[in-house]
Amino acid sequence: MKTDFLLSLLFLLAMPASAARMAMPADAPKSYEAECANCHMAYPPGLLGQKNWQNIMSGLDKHFGTDASLEAKTQTEITQWLVKNAATREKYAAFAPENRITKTAWFIRKHDEVRAEVWKRTGVKSPANCAACHTDAVKGIFNEDKIRIPAK
Amino acid sequence: MQKKIALVLVLLSLIGAAVATSPQDLLKGYESRSGKTSQARGEQFFNTKHGKEWSCASCHETPPNHDTKHIVTGKLIKPLSPNSNPDRFTDQAKVEKWFKRNCNDVLGRECAAQEKADVLSWLLTVK
Repeated sequence: MKTDFLLSLLFLLAMPASAARMAMPADAPKSYEAECANCHMAYPPGLLGQKNWQNIMSGLDKHFGTDASLEAKTQTEITQWLVKNAATREKYAAFAPENRITKTAWFIRKHDEVRAEVWKRTGVKSPANCAACHTDAVKGIFNEDKIRIPAK
Repeated sequence: MQKKIALVLVLLSLIGAAVATSPQDLLKGYESRSGKTSQARGEQFFNTKHGKEWSCASCHETPPNHDTKHIVTGKLIKPLSPNSNPDRFTDQAKVEKWFKRNCNDVLGRECAAQEKADVLSWLLTVK
């Protein structure tokens, strides 16, 4: 009995970190929520590698079609924190085309059963809108039993 | 005494502290740098596209007195009218940051004091 418990504990510990759970590091600067989460959810930094975050943060005046420019001080603070907490495992750290989480190989594979029409629903709008379907996305929880796809 | 106040204000701005303000004071500031304010012109400015893909109303809707959604990401945007959302236009740095970003998105340039005055004067009439 005790061995069972220890074994399952070991199993849990040995489980690789997966995107099903990608919690926000506790040391997120206040500016991250205040500046970045106005227009989209505060993406956990572990969803992209260092180079992608650096690219994003150095091009904020042309941020996926909008001007998201910041004061220099805030920009530095957020950049340093994102880079420090960027993905390290190869799967997530691999360079994302166009610096988009949605263009990574793992994202595309995980969502390959989602039909084009679903992405266009009013309740979804964009693949960048994680929380449209992943009801606990803001808590960093992306696993499958927390998914509710909007009907329209 | 005045010098002391000035010094405190300079220090506050240096450390980037939020300088509390009101929509009425902001409006006075814009008016002091522009001609006569027009609510009608502000309303039209808000609802019209200016050569690019979006108008102000693309995200804030019209009248901007209710929760809306970002046109691309779907993220909740709280009402823009100060009558519906008393937090609006109360933090100078925040106001100027968003004018800069959003004017660039809508017009491809920063907004003039006249344009800000017109829009804000109209927003103050939106119930």
